[in-house]
Amino acid sequence: MATPVIMPRQGQSVESCIITKWQKKPGDHVALGDVLFTYETDKATFDEKAKVEGELLGIFFEEGDDVECLLNVCVIGNKGESFEEFDPKNSAPAEKAEETEKPVQTETAASPQTVSPQITDNEHLKISPRAKNLAGNTGADLRFCTPTGPNGRIIERDIRKLVSEGKTVSPAAAKEYAAGGKDVVGTGIGGMISTSDLSAPAEDAKAAPAPSVTAVNFGECEEVKLPNIRKVIARQMHASLSEMAQLTLNSSFDATEILAYRAKVKEGREKLGLANITLNDIILFAVSRVLPNHKDLNANFYEDKIVYYKHVNLGVAVDTPRGLMVPTVFGADTLSLSEISSASKKLQDEAKSGTVNPDLLRGGTFTVTNLGSLGVESFTPVINPPQTGILGVDNITTRVKLVNGEVKPYQAMGLSLTFDHRALDGAPAAKFLSDLVSALENFSLLLAK
Amino acid sequence: MPKSQFINPDEIRKSGVLSFQDIQLNQYNKSIRDEKENFSDKDLMRIYRDMAYIREFETMLYLIKTTSEYNGVAYNNPGPAHLSMGQEASAVGQAYLLGIDDFIFGSHRSHGEILAKGLSAIEKIDDTQLYDIMKNFLGGKILKIVEKGQKSVKDLAIDFLIYGALAEIFARDTGFHEGLGGSMHCFFLPFGIYPNNAIVGGSATIATGAALFKKVNKKNGICISNIGDGAMGRGPVWEAMNFAAMDQYTQLWEEAYKGGLPVIFNFFNNSYGMGGQTYGETMAYGILARVGAGVTPSQMYSERVDGYNPLAVIDAMRRKIDIIKENKGPVLLDTVTYRIAGHSPSDSSSYRTQEEIQAWEEQDVLKSYSAKLIEANVGSEDVFEAIREEVKSRITKICAMAVDESISPRMDLFKTPDAIEKLMFSNEKIEKMEDRPVEVNMPMSENPRVQAIAKKERYGFDAEGKLVSKNKVFQLRDGLFEAIIDKFYKDPTLITYGEDVRDWGGAYAVYRGLTEALPYHRLFNAPISESAIIGTAVGYAMAGGRAIVELMYCDFIGCAGDEIFNQLAKWQAMSAGLLKMPVVVRVSVGSKYGAQHSQDWTSLCAAIPGLKCVFPVTPYDAKGLMNAALAGTDPVIFFESQRVYDVGEQFHEGGVPEGYYEVEIGEPDIKKQGSDITILTVGSTLYTALKAAKELEEKYNISAEVIDARTIVPFNYDKVIESVKKTGKILLASDAVDRGSVLKTMAANISELAFDYLDAPPVVLGSRNWITPAFELEKHFFPQPDWIIDAIHERIMPIEGYVPTRNFTDGERIRREKLGV
Repeated sequence: MATPVIMPRQGQSVESCIITKWQKKPGDHVALGDVLFTYETDKATFDEKAKVEGELLGIFFEEGDDVECLLNVCVIGNKGESFEEFDPKNSAPAEKAEETEKPVQTETAASPQTVSPQITDNEHLKISPRAKNLAGNTGADLRFCTPTGPNGRIIERDIRKLVSEGKTVSPAAAKEYAAGGKDVVGTGIGGMISTSDLSAPAEDAKAAPAPSVTAVNFGECEEVKLPNIRKVIARQMHASLSEMAQLTLNSSFDATEILAYRAKVKEGREKLGLANITLNDIILFAVSRVLPNHKDLNANFYEDKIVYYKHVNLGVAVDTPRGLMVPTVFGADTLSLSEISSASKKLQDEAKSGTVNPDLLRGGTFTVTNLGSLGVESFTPVINPPQTGILGVDNITTRVKLVNGEVKPYQAMGLSLTFDHRALDGAPAAKFLSDLVSALENFSLLLAK
Repeated sequence: MPKSQFINPDEIRKSGVLSFQDIQLNQYNKSIRDEKENFSDKDLMRIYRDMAYIREFETMLYLIKTTSEYNGVAYNNPGPAHLSMGQEASAVGQAYLLGIDDFIFGSHRSHGEILAKGLSAIEKIDDTQLYDIMKNFLGGKILKIVEKGQKSVKDLAIDFLIYGALAEIFARDTGFHEGLGGSMHCFFLPFGIYPNNAIVGGSATIATGAALFKKVNKKNGICISNIGDGAMGRGPVWEAMNFAAMDQYTQLWEEAYKGGLPVIFNFFNNSYGMGGQTYGETMAYGILARVGAGVTPSQMYSERVDGYNPLAVIDAMRRKIDIIKENKGPVLLDTVTYRIAGHSPSDSSSYRTQEEIQAWEEQDVLKSYSAKLIEANVGSEDVFEAIREEVKSRITKICAMAVDESISPRMDLFKTPDAIEKLMFSNEKIEKMEDRPVEVNMPMSENPRVQAIAKKERYGFDAEGKLVSKNKVFQLRDGLFEAIIDKFYKDPTLITYGEDVRDWGGAYAVYRGLTEALPYHRLFNAPISESAIIGTAVGYAMAGGRAIVELMYCDFIGCAGDEIFNQLAKWQAMSAGLLKMPVVVRVSVGSKYGAQHSQDWTSLCAAIPGLKCVFPVTPYDAKGLMNAALAGTDPVIFFESQRVYDVGEQFHEGGVPEGYYEVEIGEPDIKKQGSDITILTVGSTLYTALKAAKELEEKYNISAEVIDARTIVPFNYDKVIESVKKTGKILLASDAVDRGSVLKTMAANISELAFDYLDAPPVVLGSRNWITPAFELEKHFFPQPDWIIDAIHERIMPIEGYVPTRNFTDGERIRREKLGV
């Protein structure tokens, strides 16, 4: 029997994916587990493997096509079977019209937890009655759920996992957004959606049309279609610089203490079972502890309002083969140094391998980016909107200072803080920087807190 | 085969000739004058009157069916009416000599037989007894309706008889059995009128069973199977005739029980089986009476009787009853007759000519009989006219009452929605069907099997928790034996028979030891006649006894389909509770023996309302459920698995109790507690499920609760639902093939009852929809432990790190269903 293969929905917020390569062509025999095609979201690349055996009867999209999630992409079956009935282009136009009327989903890389409310979409939501009841009783936020039941069904254990991770929504809010069908930003405890979030305006960053490349004589060149991720970065960065009032403050601090601390950890980490803590981890930790005292920088700025966050969801910029990605360490202010280290290591590895859950690529309240390891002395990091700040970590240089009248060399590390002047002024930004410097220079005291 | 009988090759191989005696055809040739010594004028006139009642009764039904009116009474009767105008003489002639201890069993065309037998009984019973019968029947419900303005008790009784039968035919609550039987299943036990039967030939095995009851329990009277010539085409009829005449009755049974069964196989031979002409078209016997010569050396004392002459029939009956009283039954009668009306009112007689019908009408039984009486100066035309008038006015009066809603209401299923429901099972507990000493060969304590069992370990595990060896452990078959022998020492009516139950002790040694304990008439080998085995048990129970019969393989249910599905299952409700059916049918579910000997057909039986179905697979449950089945009054299909006859008790702490106890029919049992998933099993799949549960627990840290259904019908869902509320997941498994499995019904019920608690749809795991392959391939057919885990992994809850080997996905389901496999 002919079985259609759908474009999977990788994460609740992903609307469509691009087919990057067909690994099989129509007429090929397909064995269980064979890769059918490779596709990417705006953040990661995935392989779609065959779940049934047979002949690849037909495909409905070409390489490079942007395919809406859950649409049929191809059909596997027995030789000679008809498959045209599965072609999504043959499906009812009424459905299409409805689709286009939906608010355009933001494609911004680091927007907060803005997702379509799945609860209004029950006909597509596969969930067991037991799981559904449990979700209702516990307030588990189904939008964050990863189904592990057969056929992508959400089952009891998936809800228990959500609850244990604190992915919950208050009952009142659940009711309201079930009725309203709005996009929601969770600002409650642990990112819980509360009713107050429901009045927040939806982010509506419409993509600017890409200017077409005109063929002029450039000599030998290679024309490469922009991968989705590049398009997103381009749009994002341009929007950031064109819409914000960004300026950068530079500073440096005496890294003696953190270098000594790191050396000590390196020595004893195996015995103590600690993570391999990097200088960047130490800075992330310091930022997570200092930031709560500077709410202007742990916030999202909208045209007519600012949302301040109690907890710190720290974006960590990662250079990947696909381009820049910013996975988020959620609740960094509640994590130990070792936990932050492990979390950020895991996220970076996943971002690099392209397997990171797209839902972890959003929701940051502040970002740290590190070019220091590449020898950059000072730079202007670009803010991920709607965040209000981003900290650039520079390299370590040897400087001198007067200690009791003597010139002493020391290891200095540079910090470059870009902030959005629309959200805050220079002085509070500088105050954050100086608090951060002080925390890092007295790192042992910070740890003791 | 008993050792006392020698199969002598010299005898078997001896050359010679088998000779037959002549079979008499219509030899009666007495005149009315000759018969005056046997009959008074009044008797002769009453014979006419009885025939007139039948003629008018059937004419009334014919007119109502075809014109919706009879003599000014308008009525529409949608139910069946197989009428017998033309056959009156054969019915009245047969009934004339019979008493209320003589039982008749009828066919779809038996209104005439009921009236004839009833009128004959009314004539013979004294007024006090007659009135008591009417007063006590259904609390006097019918009596109250017909009692007013009667001249005599006998007059009253005639109204009672005609009204009770007609109200039954019209499906009234005031009918003989509350309208639940109707035209083709009507009866009235106090007059010895046992059920008619809508299945052609259905009465043959049942009448034989009632005759068996009379013989085994030393009751007076004979039984008559009144069936048509068309019934001779049915296997169960031949099975019944042989069963009634088995050699063992004369050669092996104890002196007091010697002789064939007291039963007459009477064929009302009207030359048609519906429209198929038996004589000349569909049958091969030429003359039906010939068949007797093929069944017994006595030729079943077969003869052809002129059913168009009541006196000829009475003459034959007189002679045949004598033969039966000499214990020389059974008897075959070919009572030739003719039905003037069609098979039913919708019959256009396309298979016969008007000429043929007219030829028989010219010899009409009423006209020709009255002409003879006039000729012999017994009666005059005026008197006959007066009789016909009286009959017509009485039937008109009763018909008007029977169609009147205010006098004859139907069962009100709005007011009493459980009116039929509560009749499906009698649910009584009767220790013994009759109170008298039991006939046994020895005290139970001297029985060799009982003594052997006493040395066995009654719990399956020893003190160190190790399984006790098969030879030492009290096995499931011992549990069955204990319950059965116990009942044999309590209920004097209990008998058991089946294939190879005596001497051999049953193919699976359940009955080993019973041969020593019981005389032949309580334990005997049946012929390879599954229809007769079940059908006779139905008749035995109808007549008042209790029986355990055995089908050696579940697959043989097919051979006894009508007897199990239409007879055993239905008579309690069709009789509105007047009949009880204390019959336990032991059915052994095979394995290792391929496609026709290894099927679990529990689902077939569970699908038929009226049968209780149990399937114990532990010694404790086997003994307790057998005790419960034998204590009750309902038909129980008692499934046993050949895989587990030898298992010891592994669940019930302390092992199988020595004393009497019952396991309530309908209650599942939790055999292993668990918290993550429920597994409900029917039959020996319990042990498969326990293996799977062990692996789930040890390898995957999943705790399974395993519930043994034990009973399929009835079934109390409480425990299962409670378990599903806890675990949220359930898998149901048995050896029955997946399609149509009763587990699907259970799964659907669980889905409805526990929907909000379910974490996945209930999953049913049955055998493949194939033939059962050879034993060596069975693991590809019957559910295996790894199938259970595969199905859980693929359909309920993917298990981390588990690699399934079988495909239980949606796509595979659709593929298989599309192919019908």
